[in-house]
Amino acid sequence: MPKIVSQVASNTVETQPTAAQHAQPVAPTIAIRKSCNPDGIGLSHYVLMDRKAAK
Amino acid sequence: MIAAIAERAARGTLFQALDIGHPLYAAVTDPQTAFWALVDKTRIHEAGRDPALLAAYGAMVEQFSRELHALRFGLKPSGVYLNPTERCNLNCTYCYLPDSQRSSGSHMPVETLLASLGKLRDYFRSVMPADRKPRAIFHGAEPLMNQAAVFAAIDAFADDFVFGLQTNGTLLDDAALDFLTSRNVSIGLSLDGPVAGITDATRRTWGGKSVHDKVLRAMEKLRGYGSWSVITTCTTENLPYLTHMVELFHANEVPTCMLNTLRCTLPGARGVKPADGDMGKAFFVALDRTYELYQETGRKLMVANFANILIGILAPTARRLMCDISPCGGGRAFFALAADGSLYPCSEFIGLPTTRDVDRFSPCGDCAIRHFCGSPCPAEAFEMNGGMDKIGAFCDFYKEQVNYALRLIADGKADDYLWDGWDEGTETIFVMS
Repeated sequence: MPKIVSQVASNTVETQPTAAQHAQPVAPTIAIRKSCNPDGIGLSHYVLMDRKAAK
Repeated sequence: MIAAIAERAARGTLFQALDIGHPLYAAVTDPQTAFWALVDKTRIHEAGRDPALLAAYGAMVEQFSRELHALRFGLKPSGVYLNPTERCNLNCTYCYLPDSQRSSGSHMPVETLLASLGKLRDYFRSVMPADRKPRAIFHGAEPLMNQAAVFAAIDAFADDFVFGLQTNGTLLDDAALDFLTSRNVSIGLSLDGPVAGITDATRRTWGGKSVHDKVLRAMEKLRGYGSWSVITTCTTENLPYLTHMVELFHANEVPTCMLNTLRCTLPGARGVKPADGDMGKAFFVALDRTYELYQETGRKLMVANFANILIGILAPTARRLMCDISPCGGGRAFFALAADGSLYPCSEFIGLPTTRDVDRFSPCGDCAIRHFCGSPCPAEAFEMNGGMDKIGAFCDFYKEQVNYALRLIADGKADDYLWDGWDEGTETIFVMS
């Protein structure tokens, strides 16, 4: 396993440790992936998010 | 578990680890397939040896790989951005189109537009399933500067395309709104400030007049309409007011907004470009405010550019915005028709090279989240950073968005930031929880 890479930008304010940090996660692993036929055509100047409305 | 996964796991190169800033969870990703999992952060170094995780992922890795490859390289275009004019009645500080075109360019003749749509209809029929219509979005410059041609085209091809219109909103009088809404055209507006003084800093007419109140009137008229949105382009001028923007949008029942980073394709935009850290800080405060408003009222204001990052993690193929994938959607999912009748992958690409693959240049090629952000935008990277093989303008901001999205998933809040029914038509193909 490589070293953990921090993806938080350097000027992000780090929160102080809380009691929750010493708790156990509800689930040991969380992972999900959904799949469909891709049909997105939005770009940064225009978007229609609702797939049904796009039909 | 397939042999390749076992071999990479044994070498310790299967997963990349991310500290997402969550108190309990960290993330591991396999960027090659856009796979991710949230694991106990105190045991993240064991994730690459977790038999259950490796077995579950190993069973799906080939499907994930095929899916991502098809999304990145196998699409056929299903939409076109139509520029019916080169002209715009506004002179926005950050516009990516050349001044000379916007001030004194040409309109596309209505005959050319109708003939073009006829050819495009035939093309889309040849590459799209019969049960889907292509989308045609009138776009800028300001499309309503050539309103007669736009409206003629919408009526002439009502059965052949699903139409959209992105406008600065200043020419949307009652008659135009009645025409567009009666034909179910999706309408996008632009507004950069909660009050005129802020909007006026970046969006004014060529003569310097304010257009803020005109856009507000259009928003009032569109309240209750099913398909509309507002874009705020985030600059140094309006960054302190993003929370006020989302409060204004929510009060006006805007269903969807985008809080966009500006595109730095032309030098004018770079003069009002916020730093990534400043952008992230203001953006997430505004995003948190949308969640509070949802909790208070039960009505969502979706921030579409963030929602797309979140969907890109949960369901890569369900993403709506095709900027946040590499190669980007320009020329693959959609293309642009310029007012002179020529075709481009995207309006941003005019005059630029057109090949960019995020797997093949540094530092993106080694990044754990490269298929969640796509390192937008190629045209911007070329013009601002010197090449298609350079990163985009807001790398750190995208990293923060992915971290934020993964924290929402860890906390079971992702659906609160997406529109109801966002996953209809998708199939859950992988779950561990």
